[in-house]
Amino acid sequence: MNTSLPPDFWGRIVYILQNYSQSFLRGVGVTMAIAVVSTAVGCLIGFFIGIILTIPEDNKKKFSFKNILLKTIKFILNAYVEIFRGTPMMVQAMFIYYGLALLFDIHMGMWDAAFLIVSINTGAYMAETFRGGIISVDSGQTEGAKVIGMNHFQTMFYVIMPQALRNIMPQIGNNLIINIKDSCVLSVIGTIELFYVTKGVAGAYYTYFEAFTITMVIYFVLTFICSKILRYIENKMDGDGSYELVNKDHLVLTSGTFKYKNNKALSANRNNDTRGGF
Amino acid sequence: MSESILRISHLSKSFGDNQILKDIDFEVKKGDITCIIGPSGSGKSTLLRCINLLETPSGGDIVFNGESILNSKSKITKYRTLVGMVFQNFNLFANMTALKNCMIGPQKVLKKSKKEAEKTALHYLDKVGMTPYINAKPKQLSGGQQQRVAIAKALSMQPEILLFDEPTSALDPQMVGDVLDVMKDLAKDSGLTMLIVTHEMKFAEDVANNVVFMNSGVIIEEGSPENVLRNPKNPETKEFLKRFFDE
Repeated sequence: MNTSLPPDFWGRIVYILQNYSQSFLRGVGVTMAIAVVSTAVGCLIGFFIGIILTIPEDNKKKFSFKNILLKTIKFILNAYVEIFRGTPMMVQAMFIYYGLALLFDIHMGMWDAAFLIVSINTGAYMAETFRGGIISVDSGQTEGAKVIGMNHFQTMFYVIMPQALRNIMPQIGNNLIINIKDSCVLSVIGTIELFYVTKGVAGAYYTYFEAFTITMVIYFVLTFICSKILRYIENKMDGDGSYELVNKDHLVLTSGTFKYKNNKALSANRNNDTRGGF
Repeated sequence: MSESILRISHLSKSFGDNQILKDIDFEVKKGDITCIIGPSGSGKSTLLRCINLLETPSGGDIVFNGESILNSKSKITKYRTLVGMVFQNFNLFANMTALKNCMIGPQKVLKKSKKEAEKTALHYLDKVGMTPYINAKPKQLSGGQQQRVAIAKALSMQPEILLFDEPTSALDPQMVGDVLDVMKDLAKDSGLTMLIVTHEMKFAEDVANNVVFMNSGVIIEEGSPENVLRNPKNPETKEFLKRFFDE
């Protein structure tokens, strides 16, 4: 290892990269793992909260056990959303990490703490996002499901959510990018992610500007790649663009075919399904 | 006479202070084709939405196959599978193909096997002439085609009675005929009980064996198409029908 620091800026950047690229890579790995896993878990939390918050209440029997239970659960979930949306994640990190240790004697490791905190924070945001997604789907879809006897959960799983999910994809992407950046606040509880690593590297030779220049570029590249990937997934979900009316000629094989007469309806159907996505 | 399948007794519905339906009383017998006609805002659609409980009636009762529906929470899902509904705006599931639209109900609600559900769905899609489009998504189809798929979707549940809420009102004039033909065929050969809210008087005259004329939330006149459409007794009915049958 070269012990003398080069005198110029670019030289020092190269020097840092040569000696600390391993640390940076590990930091990137931790940051991305936290962001991706927590966004996914947050989506799941939001998904279920969204479904529960939209359960209709029975107006005729206001004081039935079911209604009171439902109201209580909704109140708790709403409180969760408001509290975790309304306080900074850095404060939540300190509160949960030290609170659990002090009050319940639970000493979480770096990973557990990081996943827990970012997930429940994201979940609070995603709950609102999913609620918005559900509202965005035409109420006729719900009625179409109701009249064939579907219950609330069937309606949500098979009809509303697949459509809502497409509508909220941009917001899910937003959250992933926010999580990549904001996971740096976890450095306050000692999670060794990209920001924490950079502080260490910078402190070794007092090369703050150089180290953070590298980190700045890394964060940008990470978020930029993610936003491109998400856009690609969105396009996939839309299916191909051939949404022309197929009412011109009955003999033209467009999206539908006559194949089913030879008992091939299933295969024709499957081909189409995999292509269509949602 | 055949047995009563649906009996509406003293049904009323208010939205706030606004009373939409007042003391509606009529009966549908098995195999009946009943057309409900009347000016816009007379409560026809609300009546239909009350019958399958998309709106909760404010008073009165609905008796289906001898059982009161309004006073039992548990039977509602079962009841809805037996009462099909075709909407003005089709309301097909936008995320599914025509075939899937017709399969999802039988599969998930009636718990049929995939194979069985597909067989039923294909049968009814064929009946409405939509076989070439089974793999098309709703937004790839024209209005008339969507409505025909919607009829197949309702039929796939094999309901005992099918409600139509102005099935042709959202369609271009040239597509109206397609949908009405499908409905006529259904009326003629399936023996299905149908309750149709419509503005197509000619159609009502052709297929209905019972016509109900409604105005401002009450039933004004009821009877055979011959009596109600051609020889109306009530002045309100006469006034309304003047535009349609001016000889």
